[in-house]
Amino acid sequence: SLFTWSISTADGSALVKLGNTTIICGIKAELANPTVEAPGKGYIVPNVDLPPLCSSRFRPGPPGEEAQAASQFIADVIESSEVIKTEDLSIDRGKLCWVLYCDLMCLDYDGNILDACVIALLAALKNTRLPEVTINKETSAPEVNLEKRWELQIHKHLVSASFCIFDDSILISDPTAEEETLSTAHLTVVTDEDDRLCSVHKPGGTSLSGERLQECISRATTRQREIQKLIAKVAHSVKKAQ
Amino acid sequence: MAGLELLSDQGYRLDGRKATELRKLQARMGVFTQADGSAYLEQGNTKALAVVYGPHEMRGSRSRTLHDRAVINCQYSMATFSTAERKRRPHGDRKSTEMSLHLKQTFEAAVMTQLYPRSQIDIYVKILQSDGGNYSVCVNAATLAVIDAGIPMRDYVCACTVGFVDETPLADLCYAEESGGVSSLALALLPRGGQIALLQMDARLHQDHLETLIEAAMTACKGVSKVLDEVVRQHLQEASVLTGE
Repeated sequence: SLFTWSISTADGSALVKLGNTTIICGIKAELANPTVEAPGKGYIVPNVDLPPLCSSRFRPGPPGEEAQAASQFIADVIESSEVIKTEDLSIDRGKLCWVLYCDLMCLDYDGNILDACVIALLAALKNTRLPEVTINKETSAPEVNLEKRWELQIHKHLVSASFCIFDDSILISDPTAEEETLSTAHLTVVTDEDDRLCSVHKPGGTSLSGERLQECISRATTRQREIQKLIAKVAHSVKKAQ
Repeated sequence: MAGLELLSDQGYRLDGRKATELRKLQARMGVFTQADGSAYLEQGNTKALAVVYGPHEMRGSRSRTLHDRAVINCQYSMATFSTAERKRRPHGDRKSTEMSLHLKQTFEAAVMTQLYPRSQIDIYVKILQSDGGNYSVCVNAATLAVIDAGIPMRDYVCACTVGFVDETPLADLCYAEESGGVSSLALALLPRGGQIALLQMDARLHQDHLETLIEAAMTACKGVSKVLDEVVRQHLQEASVLTGE
């Protein structure tokens, strides 16, 4: 289930419950100078946080390796699949651009964090309203107009499907925490709405035959369609309510 | 702040409330499955989540075990998107550590720790949206979470922030009022016995006004305790219906 829960202090937000796994995503947009390598583009900074309150496995302190690996995975997926054209985020070439800080926080950990993160991120981005910024010609200072807001354009709709593998024979989709700890390998497939692959992530574990992989990919595309319908339904109901 | 009246002549505040009116309080218990006890509380626009794990064996430094009581470990943190400006360091900064310590001290006064020697109770509170009264909302949410976890307490711990403007005490401050230079006082109360668990004030206030302010805070806290009691009873009713009793 998905709620585009309005956290009024954030520019865009979403809450996803995948079974018992709960992830909340908050997006905050800030103005910054673009990087030297890409002066015409803005950037997105995702951050996955697994705080100790979501499960007794995590200790308070700096983010553990699971959180960092998840953050990196989300960052790679966003960059490579071009969910948002980063040129849209640029305001003044070389001088000013938007930076979107996407903070994904897990509130209840019951396995399959990556799927829930991707859904939450997509929904929150759809929900994000950025204020208009005009550059004052005389002072060359940015003027932010908080009243007029524009929606972000999402170019690709990504859905991720995770699987757990047991000894190359049994495949389980959407694993819970118990199943994840017992499994021997994980696999995550990210697809977009044209049934094209965006990312396949299999971090080690037992080996998997080629046909199995194909099976997973086809299952991922079916899941893609289901989730798309859900997101569309929620977006539609939010529009009706507004 | 020029032009912004915290209390108008008719007695209305910035958000249309009267001086002693509390913000709308909504709460839900048992929201998470992983934790032993959890609660979500909304007081106006401030949203907080409290999660309790315990009592369980001491983790980390075994040397801190107390032979006759349980150790309460609190952690307070704010989500990075909870304030108007993105918060860079949600954990470990001085404000969070101070709040965590205050929460710990408050709950040590209320939880019957002598029933669980040599064990640890973890209370994690997270603020999802901040609009004033952070400490009070945390304490209220944590009370519900501890009750949800089934840990015995002497009494509900209810907290409220009150401020003093133009000779009138204002109950339950929001962010605009807190930052508007109002002398604010945070009070955590055990309502039945009228005992104060924690009182904190860092502002200039005339000594004569202190009495009235504390009185106003205690009345506000008693109001909060009524709402919390309602929530607990309703949750219990729903739970017993589900288990078919």
